[in-house]
Amino acid sequence: MSNIAGKAYAMNVITPVRWYTAWVNKLFFWVALKRPSTLSGLITLSLIHYARWVIIGRNQFPHLSPEQPKEKLKYSYMLFLSNFNGSWDQYVDSFTFAIPGGLDLFWKWNLRYSKSVALTPFHNYIQYNQLETIHYYNAYPLATSNDVKSAKNVSEMLADFNKTIDAGGDDEFLKRYQTLLRGLQHDLGAMHPTPIISMSAYQVEKRERWHAGKLDQYEEQQHG
Amino acid sequence: MANVSGNAYGLSILSPIKNGRVLGAEIAFADLVRNRLQAWNNEINSPMALVPQTYLCRLYVLDDVVTESLPSGSLPDTWSDLLPVVPDSLRRDVMPVQDKLQSRYLVFCCNFYAGPSGTPDAYLRGMWEAINGRIHEIWDNCYGFDQVHNADNFITYMKKCQLTTSLFFNGSTDQPLEEQLKALYMKQEFTQFAIDNQGLSAATIRANYREFMQKTQINDLQHRTWQPGKYRL
Repeated sequence: MSNIAGKAYAMNVITPVRWYTAWVNKLFFWVALKRPSTLSGLITLSLIHYARWVIIGRNQFPHLSPEQPKEKLKYSYMLFLSNFNGSWDQYVDSFTFAIPGGLDLFWKWNLRYSKSVALTPFHNYIQYNQLETIHYYNAYPLATSNDVKSAKNVSEMLADFNKTIDAGGDDEFLKRYQTLLRGLQHDLGAMHPTPIISMSAYQVEKRERWHAGKLDQYEEQQHG
Repeated sequence: MANVSGNAYGLSILSPIKNGRVLGAEIAFADLVRNRLQAWNNEINSPMALVPQTYLCRLYVLDDVVTESLPSGSLPDTWSDLLPVVPDSLRRDVMPVQDKLQSRYLVFCCNFYAGPSGTPDAYLRGMWEAINGRIHEIWDNCYGFDQVHNADNFITYMKKCQLTTSLFFNGSTDQPLEEQLKALYMKQEFTQFAIDNQGLSAATIRANYREFMQKTQINDLQHRTWQPGKYRL
């Protein structure tokens, strides 16, 4: 089991919603799609890589073969899947504090949804409905979502800067270089692996030993 | 379409896992899937690192849906407390019922660069071409996958398992993965460059910068970059 891959956490939450009210949630999502300004609160949560809401109608679970028994469900279900940086608490709390109203609209009339305020019942609701990931892959475990965004900015500004590299004397170059650094001061910063605080810590440790050429010795110790 | 945000695509797959046990083995198909996915964690890197354009993805087994079992605090709760003569069935009738899935499902949820096409076809083809052996390892335990023998079958199968996303939020970028990785490499290297060149003369910084750009090759996305899934410096 691993909900964590480097600096990203994979959250899966499944919540039942009455099939005859699920259209309300779909409507709110549709409005959010058509009017991106409604997502401005989410954008302030810059710790998110990608997140999605998927409503599965009670008759929409994939049916692939005559041998597969058909589902007979009373409720439809809403899946919330998110990739974010930081701890579980930080994330859930930031939702509550940054976009409580929007959150309540997205989960409107989901069964026993506690509302995003107060915090403790909301924590309990998410915990109760959360599913654990078995395998989680991240193409850039060393980077946060902010690193990815700022790296794009750095790369683009360097490409622009390169066009002027030969222009003028050294002092003019230095002025432009300093302007570049000032422009990038919020985007620069070294990335490093996170301390090993994850459910896949064993795997990380094993990989470290593999890189150090000590894996076989470690395996022997483990298995006597 | 809600699966798409710019050039990024949010693929949500639910593949029904066969009920029962593996023939000749004392293990359920769903548990075999779980074991094999767990074993992926023990590899030096994820098989998904080989699949072009994958930003982030996850796999898990949905054993069942969740039953909400808390009382609601609604009027029937109160009435049944205040008026014992009111039958308790009044209260129980409004409690959520328990749903039960008939099959367990493999959930594959993936965020990737789809490009302007806005379809998952090219990605799924790339996935099949890169790791079809590993795909079989997992999806052979799912209903209907015995019909999958090539990339076209795989795309068809996955689309049958696909759920439409109601809202896909992209809080990152939607560049091709190679560009994201090259940008991360440039950010890391240039940060060090800025530190190393503090206080040097203009001429020295200029010369060093030229050398830095020569070394880092900002426009070369294949070399001098980070590899997908790179987890150590």
